Amino acid sequence: MRAVISVIVVVVVVLVLYNLVTYTVDETQQAVVVQLGEIVEVRREPGLYFKTPFLQNVIYLEDRILSYDIQPREVITSDKKRVTIDNYALWRISDAKQFVETMGGSLVRAQSRLDDVVYSNLRDVLAKQTLEDIIKREQMTEVTRLTQEQVRQFGMEIIDVRIKRADLPAATAEAVYNRMISERQQIAARYRAEGDQEAQRIRSQAEREKEIILAEARKRAQELMGEGDAQALEIYANAYNRDIAFYRFWRTLESYKTTLREGDTVVLSTDSEYLRFLERLSEKQ
Amino acid sequence: MAHRPFDPRDFEYRDYRQEWRSLWERFRQWVTSASWVIILLFVGIYALSGFYIVGPSEVGLVKRFGKFVRTSDPGFHYRLPYPIESVVVVNVRQPRTEEIGFRSVPGLPSAQFPEEREEALMLTGDGNIIQVEVVVQYDVKEPERFVFNLSDPERIVDQAAKAAIREKVALRTVDQALTTERDIIAEETRETLQKLLDTYQAGIRVINVRLQEVTPPTAEVNRAFDDVNSALQDKERKINDAQRYSNDLLPRAQGEAQQILNVAEAYKQSRILQAQGDVARFLSILERAQLGRDVTELRLYLEALETVLPKLNKVIITQGAAGVLGILNLDESLKKKEGER
Repeated sequence: MRAVISVIVVVVVVLVLYNLVTYTVDETQQAVVVQLGEIVEVRREPGLYFKTPFLQNVIYLEDRILSYDIQPREVITSDKKRVTIDNYALWRISDAKQFVETMGGSLVRAQSRLDDVVYSNLRDVLAKQTLEDIIKREQMTEVTRLTQEQVRQFGMEIIDVRIKRADLPAATAEAVYNRMISERQQIAARYRAEGDQEAQRIRSQAEREKEIILAEARKRAQELMGEGDAQALEIYANAYNRDIAFYRFWRTLESYKTTLREGDTVVLSTDSEYLRFLERLSEKQ
Repeated sequence: MAHRPFDPRDFEYRDYRQEWRSLWERFRQWVTSASWVIILLFVGIYALSGFYIVGPSEVGLVKRFGKFVRTSDPGFHYRLPYPIESVVVVNVRQPRTEEIGFRSVPGLPSAQFPEEREEALMLTGDGNIIQVEVVVQYDVKEPERFVFNLSDPERIVDQAAKAAIREKVALRTVDQALTTERDIIAEETRETLQKLLDTYQAGIRVINVRLQEVTPPTAEVNRAFDDVNSALQDKERKINDAQRYSNDLLPRAQGEAQQILNVAEAYKQSRILQAQGDVARFLSILERAQLGRDVTELRLYLEALETVLPKLNKVIITQGAAGVLGILNLDESLKKKEGER
């Protein structure tokens, strides 16, 4: 029985002492020990530590990287454009003692301070840049550096400040949309005109080629016909030159056959060679 | 038991104190042994609370008094019970995803993917705005850093990814972002994001960054972009039409040309043949004529007249009637002839 009670007592005493005399610092934490309102110890390494009970008080602080979504703010660029910048900041508590002294160990207070500092730096840095520069080139290393300088005194370390979003005001965005539309319309119109132009070119070229082909053919045709005529003439000339008188006689007769058509009227005299004999007969009667 | 009247004989002498004592003694022994059992039970349960299971895609991180001491692989493990040791189990294989510009909401009958317009709209380098939907897949490369270094890993990945994609989109023109450079943007975003996370010592490996959708910002702008595509189609179509016209026209022209040449060739040959034929006929007649010139000429002359004269109207004027010619109404008589026919 006594043994049982002593076991229980020992366990209780151990538990109470564990809670009163020791404290653990987790991997994700750091701690400061406050004694009568004064920081006497800073523990960055995780593990089990001892403290004076009642007299000393432990404040645990984050030892991980904290991300803070900085309130989106409107800034005016050097080319007088308004743009809403949405930042995030990654930071950690680098000096727990300073942090507790200046911020009371409150993350909320620290982050609202961060809000102000980042905004004022952002405004200063971006006001010297054009919108295009802000969009295209990362301007934030300067902001990060300035912010770092200003919050170091609070025991804070800035790891990164970056632009998460850069938005144009609604009216400007609308203007951009309209410009995009008109740009596209221009491009579309150009494509269509190019299509017409190209089609016209192809058609007219085809027509040109067609004309040339036909003209060449006609030229060659004329040549061929000329050759035919010439050869024919030569053949005729060679033959007819052998006896021009006979040709004249024969050809004239041939010509009668074609020139005198049915129904034509001829007035013939009995003086003619052909009807000579007709006259003679009537004389005899 | 039936009730009966009081009877002193019923009472024997008994040492009640003695009885009480032995009863108490037995009770004490029982309590003691029961307490031991309970204590042992508690000790056992306490000791057993140190067992834990690490799943197949997980890693366990064991801390002793808050300080990281070892990792444990998948399986059944033991750690010293609270408050001495504790374990954090983290999934390191299963890819985690972060969505920008939209959210996937699982549901029935099909999942929904509502847009997050504010997130999705980004400025391009040429001052335009496009809508981008991105999925980032990552897993845990160094669980120790992932768990002990970051207060809110999901949020940090989300913010860094947004910064990275915005930066990369801003380096492109709207056309590049919409078409040719999509994959390059995704790859560069992955690299930048990885670099950022490495500087944060996040212990995260970015598996991939995918641009799910890159579209013009509003329906109206989208229509304008679509119209450019259809203009391009129109252009192609017009050119094809013209090409077809050309392909139709030129062979026809060739055919026509060939026809012209053939006609000409035919003319040439026929002219020559005609001449040769004419000449052959003439020569054969000439040959005959040379045998008896006058006779032949006379015969030809008469033959010709015989062929020609029958078809003609003839007015024969004899020598005696020569004077009549003046009063002969030649016109009338011709007309009469015409009428008869």
